[in-house]
Amino acid sequence: MKAVLTIIKKEFMRFFGDRRLLLTTLLLPGIVLYAVYSALGAVFANVMQDSSVPVAYVRNMPESLGEAIDEIFDLRDTDLTDEEIKSQLVEGDADIFIIFPENFDDLTVGSDVPDVSIYYNSAQTSSSLAYSSVVALLDAYEQSIANVFNINSGSDRYDLADSSDVSANILSMIVPMVLIMLLLSGCVAVVLESIAGEKERGTIATLLVTPIKRSYFAIGKILSLSVIAVLSGISSFLGLILSLPNLMGGMEVDFSLAAYGVLDYFGLFLVVMSTVLVLVSLLAIVSAYAKSVKEANGLIVPVMIIAVICSLVSMFVASPPMGLYFIPVLNSALCISTLMAGTFGIVPFLITMGINIVCAALLAVLLGAMFNSEKIMFNRA
Amino acid sequence: MQTEILKAEHLTKSFRLPLKQQKTGEKFKLAVNDLSFSAYSGEIFGLLGPNGAGKTTTLRMLATLIKPDSGDAFIDGVSVVSDPYGVRGRIGFLTSELRLEDFFTPDYLFDFFSELHGVPHDVREQRKRSMFARFGIDEFANVKMANLSTGMKQKVSIVISIVHDPDFIIFDEPTNGLDVLTAKTVTDYLSELRGEGKSIILSTHIFSLVEKLCDRVGVMIDGRMVALDTLAALTKDKSMEEKFFDLYSEVTGGRS
Ligand SMILES: Nc1ncnc2c1ncn2[C@@H]1O[C@H](COP(=O)(O)OP(=O)(O)OP(=O)(O)O)[C@@H](O)[C@H]1O
Ligand SMILES: [Mg+2]
Repeated sequence: MKAVLTIIKKEFMRFFGDRRLLLTTLLLPGIVLYAVYSALGAVFANVMQDSSVPVAYVRNMPESLGEAIDEIFDLRDTDLTDEEIKSQLVEGDADIFIIFPENFDDLTVGSDVPDVSIYYNSAQTSSSLAYSSVVALLDAYEQSIANVFNINSGSDRYDLADSSDVSANILSMIVPMVLIMLLLSGCVAVVLESIAGEKERGTIATLLVTPIKRSYFAIGKILSLSVIAVLSGISSFLGLILSLPNLMGGMEVDFSLAAYGVLDYFGLFLVVMSTVLVLVSLLAIVSAYAKSVKEANGLIVPVMIIAVICSLVSMFVASPPMGLYFIPVLNSALCISTLMAGTFGIVPFLITMGINIVCAALLAVLLGAMFNSEKIMFNRA
Repeated sequence: MQTEILKAEHLTKSFRLPLKQQKTGEKFKLAVNDLSFSAYSGEIFGLLGPNGAGKTTTLRMLATLIKPDSGDAFIDGVSVVSDPYGVRGRIGFLTSELRLEDFFTPDYLFDFFSELHGVPHDVREQRKRSMFARFGIDEFANVKMANLSTGMKQKVSIVISIVHDPDFIIFDEPTNGLDVLTAKTVTDYLSELRGEGKSIILSTHIFSLVEKLCDRVGVMIDGRMVALDTLAALTKDKSMEEKFFDLYSEVTGGRS
């Protein structure tokens, strides 16, 4: 058992003693994610600002709609000619030009069907948006005149979701996917180098002539690489979480992570740790089988695809049947999803933890057997 | 009477040939063919043979890195087939395919491998000091392996392979790629180890090394042991090199 510690110590020395490795696997992922998402958020916010007050010209403004239109548009005086306004639309200086018939309000009461012309420029996002809002407004008005029945016409608040419910919902969809992908990329980065790389360079063979048990060697590798992979995952996760307020800056959703309690986070941590054990062991086995890092890179593709599918499935299964918790990786995605949604159950959690740990242990035994096989460890050509 | 420290019995090992090389229906290359020999404690046994003779394959079987297809070998009575862990603790093995991680320093690697072998802390420190001094590694003890010269790397590999002070030492071409000065350091050290009562088996294709160092010599050609005797007996009336050419034409029937 002391040998396991010796191996872990060596792997940590290797990792934490190497400033470049630290930078590329611990700092960079978080910083890059933060920068990318913040930049994206800035772009979104910009787009939304632009479209917030479209410039509109309206002829023959009907009394019935005047107030509503004035609310959503920046109305300009209409002493310009039609041609001048249209050329402003083309230039992008104006967003929309609406022409009502002269006695629109009278016409709508009778059986006549009045024509409304709306000029816009679909090449401009802001103009397209303005167009949709006018059409929506007129549709609503048309329905209110026909008035067969009313939907939500009172002044009550009809959408009862509060902001943190919405945020929990969104997080429960997105987080499992993002988290598993981030963890996976962290695992890939460290495992391939440490197992396929060492095999390729002949440094594993040196350990194999010492009396250390192959299974201890496998366990030592898996545990130490898992810790490093989790650290890398945490870095990415922090980058992502910290950038969320920037990313969602334009939206009215409050992504307060304080909505989750200490227990939620502790559960999340345990699930993540057990998932990483499974992923690291899986990747370790593929890496040990490969003859080189390059070959390993190709061989891990199926593992990546399975992980992606599992995390995708978790987005669409609202109330998962218990059986799904017996499938590694998928069970983790589901656990993370229910944790985020606040529908977390203790039994699925325990099944997930048990399955993942048993699974990782079996894979560790398999890895040990692979280290013992000369066909696998010394397969040349 | 010397004690028999190594006894190899009918060691046989073949490798599957890559598809491209499977000409004339041959699927396997018989690298070591029914090899039996013994080595005695306190002597240096030389395994002499041309490229591809099967020297490295033989030594890898003795070191438990690969398993024989059939046959067995006993090191100090421990079977390489049924108790490989027992063998690993008793031997030191050096071959070019075993590398040390570039990132670490000789000092760290010495400690690491000592720990894996269960060497007590004080013994380790004392051995490290004397071995590093002996090989001139002390100056470079804290330089990463990546930045060491080929010769220094080989010296570190030798030292690391025997951190646990084994009684039986298996060295595959220990002077390969070394200049004469470094090679001499190594061969002098091997004599010294023999003086301490260690048993050594080494492989080489360098005749002078065999003549200088070995007590007994096995000549391998094409997977088989074609001659096995004391150095004195083998070189009674001609040099090792001439003797080898005689053996070679005998075995191959004049073909070259
Ligand atoms: N893993 C392997 N797969 C296939 N063939 C192998 C393998 N290892 C060795 N061989 C073949 O077995 C034969 C013996 O090889 P070995 O390395 O034992 O020779 P050697 O005597 O050490 O030669 P050298 O002096 O060149 O080191 C060679 O023909 C080699 O190609
Ligand atoms: Mg060789």
